[in-house]
Amino acid sequence: MDNVSTLSAKISIEHLTYRYPFAKNRSLEDITLSIDAGQSIGIIGRNGAGKSTLCYTLSGLIPRFFHGKIEGSIKIDGEDVPTMSVEKLIRKVGLVLQNPFSQISGAKMTVYEEVAFGLENLGIEKDEMHERIDTVLKQFDLYKKKDENPFELSGGQLQRLAIASVLALQPEILILDEPTSQLDPRGTTEVFEAISQLKTLGITVIIVEHKFEKLVEYVDKIALLNDGKLVEYDTAEKIFSMPQIEDYGVGQPIYTALCKRMGLKKPNGYYPVSFNETVTLLNGLKMYE
Amino acid sequence: MKVLSLYVERDTFIHKLEPVTKLLYALVSIVITFLFPSITVGAVFVVISLFLAISAKVFKRMILLLNVVLIILLSIVIIQGLFYSKNATPVFKLWGLTFYKEGLLYSLLLIVRVVDMIISFGVLILTTRPSDLVDDLVQKGLSPRFGYVLASVLQIIPQMLSTTSTITDAQRSRGLETEGNLLQRFSAFFALLGPLVLNSLVEARERAMAIEIRGFGVEGKRTFVREIPETKADRWIKVALYVVFTVAVVWRIVLWIM
Repeated sequence: MDNVSTLSAKISIEHLTYRYPFAKNRSLEDITLSIDAGQSIGIIGRNGAGKSTLCYTLSGLIPRFFHGKIEGSIKIDGEDVPTMSVEKLIRKVGLVLQNPFSQISGAKMTVYEEVAFGLENLGIEKDEMHERIDTVLKQFDLYKKKDENPFELSGGQLQRLAIASVLALQPEILILDEPTSQLDPRGTTEVFEAISQLKTLGITVIIVEHKFEKLVEYVDKIALLNDGKLVEYDTAEKIFSMPQIEDYGVGQPIYTALCKRMGLKKPNGYYPVSFNETVTLLNGLKMYE
Repeated sequence: MKVLSLYVERDTFIHKLEPVTKLLYALVSIVITFLFPSITVGAVFVVISLFLAISAKVFKRMILLLNVVLIILLSIVIIQGLFYSKNATPVFKLWGLTFYKEGLLYSLLLIVRVVDMIISFGVLILTTRPSDLVDDLVQKGLSPRFGYVLASVLQIIPQMLSTTSTITDAQRSRGLETEGNLLQRFSAFFALLGPLVLNSLVEARERAMAIEIRGFGVEGKRTFVREIPETKADRWIKVALYVVFTVAVVWRIVLWIM
Protein backbone atom coordinates (compact mmCIF):
# COMPACT_ATOMS: atom_id res chain seq x y z
CA MET A 1 0.00 0.00 0.00
CA ASP A 2 1.22 3.51 -0.78
CA ASN A 3 2.40 5.66 2.06
CA VAL A 4 0.02 8.57 2.52
CA SER A 5 0.84 11.97 3.88
CA THR A 6 -1.07 12.55 7.11
CA LEU A 7 0.12 16.10 7.73
CA SER A 8 -2.80 18.06 6.25
CA ALA A 9 -5.46 15.42 6.83
CA LYS A 10 -8.67 15.91 8.84
CA ILE A 11 -8.13 12.55 10.44
CA SER A 12 -4.74 10.92 10.66
CA ILE A 13 -4.17 7.50 12.06
CA GLU A 14 -0.65 6.20 12.46
CA HIS A 15 0.33 2.71 13.52
CA LEU A 16 -2.86 2.34 15.53
CA THR A 17 -3.00 -0.88 17.50
CA TYR A 18 -5.70 -1.77 20.01
CA ARG A 19 -6.62 -4.75 22.12
CA TYR A 20 -9.83 -5.02 24.18
CA PRO A 21 -9.42 -5.84 27.88
CA PHE A 22 -8.96 -9.58 28.47
CA ALA A 23 -8.85 -10.22 24.68
CA LYS A 24 -6.18 -12.52 23.33
CA ASN A 25 -5.81 -10.90 19.94
CA ARG A 26 -5.51 -7.33 18.83
CA SER A 27 -8.66 -5.94 17.27
CA LEU A 28 -6.69 -3.31 15.35
CA GLU A 29 -3.11 -3.79 14.27
CA ASP A 30 -0.76 -1.17 12.89
CA ILE A 31 -3.41 0.83 11.02
CA THR A 32 -2.15 3.88 9.17
CA LEU A 33 -4.46 6.00 7.05
CA SER A 34 -5.53 9.58 6.54
CA ILE A 35 -8.86 11.14 5.63
CA ASP A 36 -9.22 14.63 4.20
CA ALA A 37 -11.92 17.07 5.19
CA GLY A 38 -15.17 16.53 3.30
CA GLN A 39 -14.21 13.08 2.08
CA SER A 40 -16.56 10.13 2.31
CA ILE A 41 -14.89 6.92 3.30
CA GLY A 42 -16.28 3.39 3.39
CA ILE A 43 -14.93 0.74 5.72
CA ILE A 44 -15.47 -2.87 4.74
CA GLY A 45 -14.36 -6.23 6.02
CA ARG A 46 -15.77 -9.48 7.32
CA ASN A 47 -17.24 -9.82 10.83
CA GLY A 48 -14.53 -9.32 13.42
CA ALA A 49 -12.26 -7.47 11.00
CA GLY A 50 -12.13 -4.45 13.32
CA LYS A 51 -14.55 -2.10 11.55
CA SER A 52 -16.61 -1.16 14.60
CA THR A 53 -13.50 -0.99 16.77
CA LEU A 54 -11.98 1.51 14.33
CA CYS A 55 -15.22 3.56 14.57
CA TYR A 56 -15.02 3.49 18.36
CA THR A 57 -11.41 4.71 18.36
CA LEU A 58 -12.27 7.51 15.93
CA SER A 59 -15.21 8.61 18.06
CA GLY A 60 -13.23 8.44 21.30
CA LEU A 61 -15.32 5.63 22.83
CA ILE A 62 -11.98 3.84 22.94
CA PRO A 63 -10.39 4.44 25.44
CA ARG A 64 -13.12 6.36 27.31
CA PHE A 65 -15.87 3.76 27.22
CA PHE A 66 -13.90 0.64 26.30
CA HIS A 67 -10.59 0.41 28.06
CA GLY A 68 -7.76 -1.78 26.88
CA LYS A 69 -4.35 -1.24 25.39
CA ILE A 70 -4.09 1.40 22.69
CA GLU A 71 -0.87 2.21 20.80
CA GLY A 72 -0.01 4.51 17.94
CA SER A 73 -1.74 7.81 17.30
CA ILE A 74 -5.14 8.93 16.15
CA LYS A 75 -5.59 12.62 15.50
CA ILE A 76 -8.36 14.92 14.34
CA ASP A 77 -7.21 18.32 13.07
CA GLY A 78 -3.83 17.51 14.60
CA GLU A 79 -5.27 16.90 18.08
CA ASP A 80 -4.90 13.60 19.85
CA VAL A 81 -8.34 11.92 20.12
CA PRO A 82 -7.77 9.85 23.30
CA THR A 83 -6.73 12.93 25.28
CA MET A 84 -9.16 15.44 23.73
CA SER A 85 -11.89 16.75 26.09
CA VAL A 86 -15.20 14.90 25.71
CA GLU A 87 -17.08 18.10 24.94
CA LYS A 88 -14.67 19.06 22.18
CA LEU A 89 -14.70 15.56 20.77
CA ILE A 90 -18.51 15.48 20.63
CA ARG A 91 -18.49 18.72 18.66
CA LYS A 92 -15.97 17.18 16.23
CA VAL A 93 -17.22 13.62 15.82
CA GLY A 94 -20.69 12.11 15.73
CA LEU A 95 -21.34 8.37 15.75
CA VAL A 96 -24.44 6.50 14.62
CA LEU A 97 -24.66 2.86 15.69
CA GLN A 98 -26.26 -0.20 14.12
CA ASN A 99 -29.37 -0.75 16.18
CA PRO A 100 -31.84 2.10 15.71
CA PHE A 101 -33.88 1.02 18.75
CA SER A 102 -31.08 1.05 21.30
CA GLN A 103 -29.49 4.34 20.33
CA ILE A 104 -32.35 6.64 21.18
CA SER A 105 -32.05 7.94 24.71
CA GLY A 106 -35.23 6.23 25.93
CA ALA A 107 -35.80 9.13 28.32
CA LYS A 108 -37.61 11.51 25.97
CA MET A 109 -41.26 11.31 25.07
CA THR A 110 -41.21 13.04 21.69
CA VAL A 111 -39.03 13.07 18.58
CA TYR A 112 -38.41 16.79 19.14
CA GLU A 113 -37.16 16.26 22.68
CA GLU A 114 -35.05 13.31 21.55
CA VAL A 115 -33.11 15.52 19.14
CA ALA A 116 -32.77 18.08 21.94
CA PHE A 117 -31.18 15.51 24.28
CA GLY A 118 -27.58 16.03 23.11
CA LEU A 119 -28.01 19.80 22.77
CA GLU A 120 -29.28 20.04 26.35
CA ASN A 121 -26.27 18.07 27.56
CA LEU A 122 -23.93 20.48 25.81
CA GLY A 123 -25.74 23.51 27.23
CA ILE A 124 -26.73 24.98 23.85
CA GLU A 125 -28.87 28.11 24.26
CA LYS A 126 -32.61 27.60 23.84
CA ASP A 127 -33.09 29.70 20.70
CA GLU A 128 -30.20 28.04 18.92
CA MET A 129 -31.43 24.68 20.11
CA HIS A 130 -34.87 25.20 18.53
CA GLU A 131 -33.26 26.41 15.31
CA ARG A 132 -30.97 23.39 15.07
CA ILE A 133 -33.75 20.91 15.89
CA ASP A 134 -36.12 22.39 13.31
CA THR A 135 -33.36 22.31 10.69
CA VAL A 136 -32.39 18.68 11.14
CA LEU A 137 -35.96 17.45 11.49
CA LYS A 138 -36.89 19.14 8.21
CA GLN A 139 -33.68 17.93 6.58
CA PHE A 140 -34.43 14.32 7.48
CA ASP A 141 -38.16 14.55 6.77
CA LEU A 142 -39.15 14.02 10.39
CA TYR A 143 -40.72 17.38 11.12
CA LYS A 144 -44.26 16.02 10.85
CA LYS A 145 -43.35 13.38 13.43
CA LYS A 146 -41.89 15.81 15.94
CA ASP A 147 -44.60 15.26 18.56
CA GLU A 148 -44.65 11.46 18.27
CA ASN A 149 -42.99 9.09 20.70
CA PRO A 150 -39.64 7.91 19.22
CA PHE A 151 -40.55 4.29 19.95
CA GLU A 152 -43.52 4.62 17.60
CA LEU A 153 -41.32 5.30 14.55
CA SER A 154 -40.37 2.66 11.99
CA GLY A 155 -36.80 1.33 11.88
CA GLY A 156 -35.83 3.60 8.97
CA GLN A 157 -37.39 6.66 10.61
CA LEU A 158 -35.69 5.81 13.88
CA GLN A 159 -32.30 5.54 12.21
CA ARG A 160 -32.92 8.88 10.48
CA LEU A 161 -33.80 10.27 13.90
CA ALA A 162 -30.50 8.91 15.26
CA ILE A 163 -28.59 10.60 12.43
CA ALA A 164 -30.55 13.84 12.90
CA SER A 165 -29.91 13.79 16.67
CA VAL A 166 -26.18 13.45 16.10
CA LEU A 167 -26.11 16.03 13.28
CA ALA A 168 -27.91 18.55 15.51
CA LEU A 169 -24.64 18.64 17.46
CA GLN A 170 -23.04 19.89 14.22
CA PRO A 171 -20.06 17.52 14.17
CA GLU A 172 -17.40 17.97 11.51
CA ILE A 173 -17.09 14.21 11.11
CA LEU A 174 -19.93 11.69 11.06
CA ILE A 175 -19.28 8.00 11.54
CA LEU A 176 -22.02 5.53 10.64
CA ASP A 177 -21.45 1.99 11.86
CA GLU A 178 -23.60 -0.29 9.68
CA PRO A 179 -26.56 2.08 9.88
CA THR A 180 -28.78 -0.10 7.70
CA SER A 181 -27.87 -3.56 8.95
CA GLN A 182 -31.15 -3.98 10.87
CA LEU A 183 -33.42 -2.26 8.38
CA ASP A 184 -35.70 -3.51 5.65
CA PRO A 185 -35.14 -2.33 2.03
CA ARG A 186 -37.42 0.66 2.49
CA GLY A 187 -35.66 1.69 5.68
CA THR A 188 -32.29 1.23 3.96
CA THR A 189 -33.33 3.49 1.10
CA GLU A 190 -34.57 6.11 3.57
CA VAL A 191 -31.27 6.10 5.42
CA PHE A 192 -29.15 6.27 2.26
CA GLU A 193 -31.23 9.17 1.00
CA ALA A 194 -30.47 10.89 4.30
CA ILE A 195 -26.78 10.04 4.04
CA SER A 196 -26.60 11.41 0.49
CA GLN A 197 -27.55 14.82 1.91
CA LEU A 198 -24.51 14.82 4.17
CA LYS A 199 -22.13 15.24 1.26
CA THR A 200 -23.76 18.55 0.41
CA LEU A 201 -23.12 19.74 3.97
CA GLY A 202 -19.36 19.29 3.61
CA ILE A 203 -19.21 16.80 6.49
CA THR A 204 -16.49 14.18 6.52
CA VAL A 205 -18.33 10.87 6.51
CA ILE A 206 -17.03 7.44 7.46
CA ILE A 207 -19.44 4.61 6.87
CA VAL A 208 -19.23 0.92 7.63
CA GLU A 209 -21.61 -0.89 5.32
CA HIS A 210 -22.16 -4.31 3.78
CA LYS A 211 -24.61 -3.12 1.12
CA PHE A 212 -21.90 -2.37 -1.42
CA GLU A 213 -24.19 -1.34 -4.26
CA LYS A 214 -25.34 1.55 -2.12
CA LEU A 215 -21.95 2.24 -0.56
CA VAL A 216 -19.97 2.63 -3.78
CA GLU A 217 -22.30 5.29 -5.07
CA TYR A 218 -21.50 7.42 -2.10
CA VAL A 219 -17.88 7.03 -0.99
CA ASP A 220 -14.65 8.49 -2.36
CA LYS A 221 -12.46 5.75 -0.98
CA ILE A 222 -12.76 2.42 0.76
CA ALA A 223 -10.65 0.95 3.55
CA LEU A 224 -10.56 -2.84 3.48
CA LEU A 225 -9.87 -4.40 6.88
CA ASN A 226 -9.02 -8.01 7.64
CA ASP A 227 -8.17 -9.43 11.07
CA GLY A 228 -7.62 -5.92 12.42
CA LYS A 229 -5.18 -4.96 9.67
CA LEU A 230 -5.66 -2.46 6.89
CA VAL A 231 -5.36 -4.50 3.70
CA GLU A 232 -6.03 -1.75 1.18
CA TYR A 233 -7.21 1.86 1.17
CA ASP A 234 -8.22 3.00 -2.28
CA THR A 235 -11.08 3.80 -4.63
CA ALA A 236 -14.01 1.37 -4.80
CA GLU A 237 -13.17 0.22 -8.33
CA LYS A 238 -9.59 -0.63 -7.36
CA ILE A 239 -10.66 -2.40 -4.17
CA PHE A 240 -13.32 -4.55 -5.84
CA SER A 241 -11.12 -5.28 -8.86
CA MET A 242 -8.53 -6.90 -6.58
CA PRO A 243 -8.24 -10.55 -7.68
CA GLN A 244 -8.08 -11.76 -4.07
CA ILE A 245 -11.02 -9.63 -2.81
CA GLU A 246 -13.20 -12.67 -2.06
CA ASP A 247 -10.46 -14.12 0.16
CA TYR A 248 -11.26 -11.38 2.64
CA GLY A 249 -14.86 -12.53 2.93
CA VAL A 250 -16.47 -9.25 1.96
CA GLY A 251 -18.24 -10.08 -1.28
CA GLN A 252 -18.59 -7.42 -3.95
CA PRO A 253 -21.25 -5.31 -5.65
CA ILE A 254 -23.54 -7.40 -7.82
CA TYR A 255 -22.58 -5.32 -10.89
CA THR A 256 -18.87 -6.02 -10.31
CA ALA A 257 -19.56 -9.74 -9.91
CA LEU A 258 -21.60 -9.73 -13.12
CA CYS A 259 -18.90 -7.92 -15.12
CA LYS A 260 -16.20 -10.19 -13.69
CA ARG A 261 -18.23 -13.21 -14.82
CA MET A 262 -18.63 -11.64 -18.27
CA GLY A 263 -15.03 -10.47 -18.37
CA LEU A 264 -16.05 -6.86 -18.93
CA LYS A 265 -13.64 -4.17 -17.76
CA LYS A 266 -13.73 -0.42 -18.06
CA PRO A 267 -11.20 1.26 -20.36
CA ASN A 268 -9.01 1.99 -17.28
CA GLY A 269 -8.70 -1.75 -16.63
CA TYR A 270 -10.95 -1.92 -13.55
CA TYR A 271 -14.35 -3.51 -13.16
CA PRO A 272 -17.41 -1.29 -12.83
CA VAL A 273 -18.86 -1.10 -9.32
CA SER A 274 -22.14 0.74 -9.78
CA PHE A 275 -25.28 0.39 -11.84
CA ASN A 276 -24.50 3.50 -13.91
CA GLU A 277 -20.95 2.39 -14.68
CA THR A 278 -22.22 -1.01 -15.74
CA VAL A 279 -24.91 0.46 -17.98
CA THR A 280 -22.35 2.82 -19.54
CA LEU A 281 -20.01 -0.08 -20.17
CA LEU A 282 -22.74 -2.24 -21.69
CA ASN A 283 -23.97 0.65 -23.84
CA GLY A 284 -20.41 1.14 -25.04
CA LEU A 285 -20.23 -2.51 -26.07
CA LYS A 286 -23.55 -2.19 -27.88
CA MET A 287 -22.15 0.73 -29.81
CA TYR A 288 -19.39 -1.46 -31.22
CA GLU A 289 -21.70 -4.32 -32.23
CA MET B 1 -46.00 2.37 22.32
CA LYS B 2 -46.96 2.10 25.98
CA VAL B 3 -45.35 4.28 28.59
CA LEU B 4 -45.54 3.47 32.27
CA SER B 5 -47.83 6.32 33.19
CA LEU B 6 -51.21 6.91 34.79
CA TYR B 7 -51.43 10.45 33.45
CA VAL B 8 -54.94 11.56 32.47
CA GLU B 9 -55.04 14.32 29.85
CA ARG B 10 -57.37 17.12 31.02
CA ASP B 11 -57.33 20.88 30.79
CA THR B 12 -57.65 21.92 34.42
CA PHE B 13 -55.98 24.31 36.83
CA ILE B 14 -54.39 21.37 38.70
CA HIS B 15 -52.92 19.98 35.46
CA LYS B 16 -51.35 23.36 34.73
CA LEU B 17 -49.61 23.59 38.08
CA GLU B 18 -45.88 22.97 38.19
CA PRO B 19 -45.18 19.28 39.00
CA VAL B 20 -42.96 20.24 41.94
CA THR B 21 -45.87 22.18 43.52
CA LYS B 22 -48.02 19.06 43.39
CA LEU B 23 -45.16 16.94 44.72
CA LEU B 24 -44.68 19.42 47.55
CA TYR B 25 -48.40 19.25 48.42
CA ALA B 26 -48.27 15.44 48.49
CA LEU B 27 -45.20 15.42 50.76
CA VAL B 28 -46.53 18.10 53.12
CA SER B 29 -49.94 16.45 53.47
CA ILE B 30 -48.38 13.03 54.13
CA VAL B 31 -45.84 14.33 56.64
CA ILE B 32 -48.50 16.28 58.56
CA THR B 33 -50.94 13.36 58.72
CA PHE B 34 -48.14 11.21 60.12
CA LEU B 35 -46.93 13.97 62.43
CA PHE B 36 -50.30 14.26 64.21
CA PRO B 37 -51.97 11.08 65.51
CA SER B 38 -55.34 12.69 64.81
CA ILE B 39 -58.14 11.36 62.66
CA THR B 40 -59.46 14.90 62.20
CA VAL B 41 -56.17 16.25 60.82
CA GLY B 42 -55.93 13.26 58.49
CA ALA B 43 -59.56 13.67 57.41
CA VAL B 44 -58.98 17.35 56.61
CA PHE B 45 -56.16 16.44 54.22
CA VAL B 46 -58.19 13.59 52.71
CA VAL B 47 -60.98 16.06 52.00
CA ILE B 48 -58.55 18.61 50.48
CA SER B 49 -56.92 15.89 48.35
CA LEU B 50 -60.34 14.64 47.23
CA PHE B 51 -61.34 18.18 46.33
CA LEU B 52 -58.15 18.49 44.23
CA ALA B 53 -58.88 15.17 42.52
CA ILE B 54 -62.42 16.26 41.69
CA SER B 55 -61.19 19.68 40.45
CA ALA B 56 -58.69 17.90 38.24
CA LYS B 57 -61.47 15.66 36.84
CA VAL B 58 -59.60 12.51 37.79
CA PHE B 59 -61.91 11.29 40.56
CA LYS B 60 -62.95 8.12 38.70
CA ARG B 61 -59.33 7.10 38.19
CA MET B 62 -58.67 7.88 41.83
CA ILE B 63 -61.36 5.38 42.84
CA LEU B 64 -59.58 2.76 40.75
CA LEU B 65 -56.33 3.54 42.57
CA LEU B 66 -58.07 3.22 45.93
CA ASN B 67 -59.57 -0.12 44.87
CA VAL B 68 -56.02 -1.48 44.60
CA VAL B 69 -55.49 -1.01 48.35
CA LEU B 70 -59.01 -1.93 49.45
CA ILE B 71 -57.97 -5.38 50.72
CA ILE B 72 -55.06 -3.88 52.67
CA LEU B 73 -57.38 -1.33 54.28
CA LEU B 74 -59.86 -4.06 55.17
CA SER B 75 -57.10 -6.17 56.72
CA ILE B 76 -56.01 -3.16 58.80
CA VAL B 77 -59.53 -2.85 60.22
CA ILE B 78 -59.74 -6.56 61.04
CA ILE B 79 -56.24 -6.91 62.54
CA GLN B 80 -56.33 -3.70 64.59
CA GLY B 81 -60.01 -4.13 65.58
CA LEU B 82 -59.25 -7.59 66.92
CA PHE B 83 -55.65 -7.50 68.10
CA TYR B 84 -54.61 -3.89 68.87
CA SER B 85 -52.53 -3.98 72.08
CA LYS B 86 -54.64 -1.30 73.82
CA ASN B 87 -57.99 -2.95 73.02
CA ALA B 88 -60.33 -2.69 76.07
CA THR B 89 -63.84 -1.58 75.01
CA PRO B 90 -65.82 -4.11 72.98
CA VAL B 91 -67.99 -2.59 70.26
CA PHE B 92 -69.56 -5.49 68.35
CA LYS B 93 -69.20 -9.19 67.69
CA LEU B 94 -68.96 -10.83 64.27
CA TRP B 95 -68.88 -14.64 63.85
CA GLY B 96 -67.82 -14.89 67.47
CA LEU B 97 -64.96 -12.39 67.07
CA THR B 98 -65.01 -9.25 69.24
CA PHE B 99 -64.03 -5.92 67.70
CA TYR B 100 -62.78 -3.22 70.08
CA LYS B 101 -63.24 0.54 69.99
CA GLU B 102 -59.53 1.39 70.52
CA GLY B 103 -58.42 -0.89 67.72
CA LEU B 104 -61.10 0.38 65.32
CA LEU B 105 -60.18 4.01 66.03
CA TYR B 106 -56.49 3.25 65.50
CA SER B 107 -57.31 1.45 62.25
CA LEU B 108 -59.31 4.49 61.16
CA LEU B 109 -56.27 6.68 61.79
CA LEU B 110 -54.09 4.34 59.72
CA ILE B 111 -56.69 4.22 56.95
CA VAL B 112 -56.95 8.00 56.84
CA ARG B 113 -53.15 8.23 56.52
CA VAL B 114 -52.96 5.59 53.77
CA VAL B 115 -55.90 7.07 51.85
CA ASP B 116 -54.42 10.56 52.08
CA MET B 117 -51.09 9.21 50.84
CA ILE B 118 -52.76 7.56 47.85
CA ILE B 119 -55.02 10.49 46.97
CA SER B 120 -52.38 13.21 47.35
CA PHE B 121 -49.82 11.23 45.32
CA GLY B 122 -52.65 10.20 43.00
CA VAL B 123 -53.36 13.86 42.24
CA LEU B 124 -49.68 14.23 41.32
CA ILE B 125 -49.37 11.18 39.09
CA LEU B 126 -52.80 11.45 37.45
CA THR B 127 -52.35 15.10 36.51
CA THR B 128 -48.65 15.19 35.64
CA ARG B 129 -46.78 13.70 32.70
CA PRO B 130 -43.94 11.61 34.20
CA SER B 131 -41.45 13.27 31.86
CA ASP B 132 -42.61 16.71 33.08
CA LEU B 133 -42.06 15.71 36.68
CA VAL B 134 -38.57 14.38 35.95
CA ASP B 135 -37.67 17.42 33.80
CA ASP B 136 -38.92 19.75 36.51
CA LEU B 137 -36.91 17.95 39.19
CA VAL B 138 -33.76 18.01 37.04
CA GLN B 139 -34.29 21.72 36.35
CA LYS B 140 -34.60 22.21 40.11
CA GLY B 141 -31.25 20.50 40.70
CA LEU B 142 -31.86 16.75 40.71
CA SER B 143 -28.86 14.88 39.28
CA PRO B 144 -29.39 14.45 35.50
CA ARG B 145 -28.16 10.87 35.85
CA PHE B 146 -30.83 10.06 38.42
CA GLY B 147 -33.39 11.94 36.32
CA TYR B 148 -32.38 9.88 33.28
CA VAL B 149 -32.87 6.64 35.20
CA LEU B 150 -36.36 7.72 36.34
CA ALA B 151 -37.40 8.89 32.88
CA SER B 152 -35.95 6.01 30.91
CA VAL B 153 -37.50 3.33 33.12
CA LEU B 154 -40.95 4.57 32.09
CA GLN B 155 -40.28 3.74 28.44
CA ILE B 156 -37.67 1.02 28.57
CA ILE B 157 -39.67 -1.37 30.80
CA PRO B 158 -42.63 -1.48 28.36
CA GLN B 159 -40.02 -1.91 25.60
CA MET B 160 -38.55 -4.89 27.49
CA LEU B 161 -42.03 -6.38 27.88
CA SER B 162 -42.50 -6.09 24.13
CA THR B 163 -39.13 -7.85 23.60
CA THR B 164 -40.25 -10.56 26.03
CA SER B 165 -43.33 -11.17 23.95
CA THR B 166 -41.24 -11.35 20.74
CA ILE B 167 -38.83 -13.87 22.31
CA THR B 168 -41.76 -15.93 23.66
CA ASP B 169 -43.31 -16.02 20.18
CA ALA B 170 -39.96 -17.04 18.67
CA GLN B 171 -39.49 -19.82 21.26
CA ARG B 172 -43.06 -21.01 20.76
CA SER B 173 -42.65 -21.12 16.98
CA ARG B 174 -39.73 -23.49 17.56
CA GLY B 175 -41.86 -25.84 19.60
CA LEU B 176 -41.32 -24.65 23.16
CA GLU B 177 -44.36 -25.31 25.33
CA THR B 178 -45.16 -22.04 27.06
CA GLU B 179 -48.51 -23.13 28.43
CA GLY B 180 -49.58 -26.11 30.48
CA ASN B 181 -48.70 -27.24 33.97
CA LEU B 182 -46.46 -25.35 36.38
CA LEU B 183 -43.33 -27.30 35.42
CA GLN B 184 -43.80 -26.57 31.70
CA ARG B 185 -44.33 -22.88 32.39
CA PHE B 186 -41.31 -22.84 34.65
CA SER B 187 -39.03 -24.36 32.01
CA ALA B 188 -40.45 -21.93 29.40
CA PHE B 189 -39.61 -19.08 31.75
CA PHE B 190 -35.97 -20.20 31.97
CA ALA B 191 -35.77 -20.52 28.20
CA LEU B 192 -36.96 -16.95 27.96
CA LEU B 193 -34.64 -15.60 30.63
CA GLY B 194 -31.33 -16.16 28.81
CA PRO B 195 -32.09 -14.29 25.55
CA LEU B 196 -34.01 -11.58 27.41
CA VAL B 197 -31.22 -10.83 29.85
CA LEU B 198 -28.51 -10.97 27.17
CA ASN B 199 -30.55 -8.80 24.82
CA SER B 200 -31.22 -6.28 27.59
CA LEU B 201 -27.54 -6.14 28.54
CA VAL B 202 -26.48 -5.56 24.92
CA GLU B 203 -29.14 -2.88 24.47
CA ALA B 204 -28.17 -1.21 27.75
CA ARG B 205 -24.52 -1.09 26.66
CA GLU B 206 -25.43 0.32 23.24
CA ARG B 207 -27.73 2.88 24.81
CA ALA B 208 -25.00 3.89 27.23
CA MET B 209 -22.63 4.39 24.27
CA ALA B 210 -25.27 6.29 22.32
CA ILE B 211 -26.02 8.76 25.12
CA GLU B 212 -22.33 9.14 25.93
CA ILE B 213 -21.57 10.28 22.37
CA ARG B 214 -24.41 12.76 22.70
CA GLY B 215 -22.72 14.41 25.63
CA PHE B 216 -24.53 12.80 28.56
CA GLY B 217 -21.30 12.58 30.55
CA VAL B 218 -20.29 16.18 29.86
CA GLU B 219 -20.03 18.16 33.08
CA GLY B 220 -21.21 21.75 33.08
CA LYS B 221 -24.27 23.87 32.58
CA ARG B 222 -27.21 22.15 30.91
CA THR B 223 -30.02 23.83 29.09
CA PHE B 224 -33.57 22.61 28.61
CA VAL B 225 -35.61 22.63 25.44
CA ARG B 226 -38.85 22.64 27.42
CA GLU B 227 -38.71 24.64 30.60
CA ILE B 228 -41.47 23.96 33.09
CA PRO B 229 -42.81 27.40 34.07
CA GLU B 230 -43.44 28.38 37.67
CA THR B 231 -46.65 30.43 37.66
CA LYS B 232 -47.78 32.99 40.22
CA ALA B 233 -50.25 30.42 41.57
CA ASP B 234 -47.38 27.94 42.02
CA ARG B 235 -45.41 30.46 44.02
CA TRP B 236 -48.36 31.27 46.32
CA ILE B 237 -49.27 27.62 46.85
CA LYS B 238 -45.65 26.78 47.67
CA VAL B 239 -45.44 29.62 50.18
CA ALA B 240 -48.71 28.48 51.77
CA LEU B 241 -47.44 24.89 51.96
CA TYR B 242 -44.15 25.98 53.54
CA VAL B 243 -46.08 28.02 56.12
CA VAL B 244 -48.49 25.17 56.92
CA PHE B 245 -45.59 22.74 57.19
CA THR B 246 -43.57 25.03 59.48
CA VAL B 247 -46.57 25.76 61.72
CA ALA B 248 -47.37 22.03 61.92
CA VAL B 249 -43.81 21.10 62.88
CA VAL B 250 -43.58 23.86 65.50
CA TRP B 251 -47.00 22.94 66.87
CA ARG B 252 -46.02 19.28 67.11
CA ILE B 253 -42.78 20.16 68.92
CA VAL B 254 -44.73 22.34 71.36
CA LEU B 255 -47.18 19.47 71.98
CA TRP B 256 -44.27 17.11 72.69
CA ILE B 257 -42.68 19.57 75.12
CA MET B 258 -45.95 20.23 76.91
